[in-house]
Amino acid sequence: MPLPRWRTNRSWLWVGLLLVLLLYIAAPLPIGQRLTLGLAPLIDALHAPAKWWQQTSLWFQSRGDLQQRLAEAESSDQKQAALVDELRILREENRQLRRLLSLDAIATTAWHGAKVIGHSPDKQSIRIMLRIDGARSDDIVASRDGLVGLVDSADRRHAVVRTILDASIAVPVTLPGTTLAALARGEGDHLIIDFIPAKQAPASGTVMVTSGSGGLFPAGIPVARVSAVEHLEGQIFVRVTAEPVAHWQRDSWLAVATTGDRAP
Amino acid sequence: MIPPLILLLCIAGIVCNLGFSGLAVQPDWSLALLLASVLAHRGNWIWALPGVFVHDLALQWSVWMCVPFMALAPALMALIDFQAGPGLPQRFFVLLMTTIPLLFWGWGFGAWLLTILLCMAIWYFMARHHVWA
Repeated sequence: MPLPRWRTNRSWLWVGLLLVLLLYIAAPLPIGQRLTLGLAPLIDALHAPAKWWQQTSLWFQSRGDLQQRLAEAESSDQKQAALVDELRILREENRQLRRLLSLDAIATTAWHGAKVIGHSPDKQSIRIMLRIDGARSDDIVASRDGLVGLVDSADRRHAVVRTILDASIAVPVTLPGTTLAALARGEGDHLIIDFIPAKQAPASGTVMVTSGSGGLFPAGIPVARVSAVEHLEGQIFVRVTAEPVAHWQRDSWLAVATTGDRAP
Repeated sequence: MIPPLILLLCIAGIVCNLGFSGLAVQPDWSLALLLASVLAHRGNWIWALPGVFVHDLALQWSVWMCVPFMALAPALMALIDFQAGPGLPQRFFVLLMTTIPLLFWGWGFGAWLLTILLCMAIWYFMARHHVWA
């Protein structure tokens, strides 16, 4: 029986070698991030019909309903305007105090809202896509519950976020009111908290917050809720497993913090 | 005509996966399409493999999810077809081999199952189309 053509043809070998070479070259490059960012306008376009439907459905609502919603929006707007005024005054006070104390060089953090347009398809949504103007790499992303992650890459209109469940991110954390310095790192579907001495082992359910060390994450943002503590015999540190405090899988809006004078 | 259409649908599938993954369980549309095209006719690997390359990069930022298995798939099918004769078992094996990494990369069981079912349906239609062509 004659051998099939694919067994006699050496081109298979070359194709295989070329493929392995290509994979090794491509693996460390940030091509995936660029691809995801490139697809962001298409995802925006995909959401457009839902937006149109939302706007069109207003035509079919009763006048009373619309007036009530308008009144609620106006009331909420007034409350927020008061808060914005208060914030502006506090910022001005802060600026003047910094000037008096010669602390102008300390970076300040400003928070901005960003619309979530997509998630990575894994169960935990390890990566998120945001619509935000002018975000930059390493900007901090948080939900109303706690820390979500860091901006990995961004263009003028969109940003891609690595959440704290991603193994490439480690967050310096502490227990409020203590001097504990630990590190929370992602394990795909949960967090591991490293470097907690056995004497300072937290109870299950304790919330750990950012310590502020390293300078990347501002201090005091809730990060992880301890789910299990394992004492290992002969080890200085305990093995602590935790869940993220933030639940970003269903959030439509997240907050992005930029440092310094940049404003998206 | 068919390959560009499938690759275009794959891009749409990737966009759906990214845009709606927070809302509902959905199959891996693009992997199902590309795998079905290889299962229907193993010679399709020449354009399906770059498609899977883009799929892995866009969805997982890695080239190690399905690309290695998809690269092995046509060779494995050709080998077993030659040794044992053309048949369905080796194709089902390839189907499982290529989709199981989804589970290890954090996709839900429901999404994996939907991907397999969608792939089988597309495979059936593409195989019929190939026979007619």
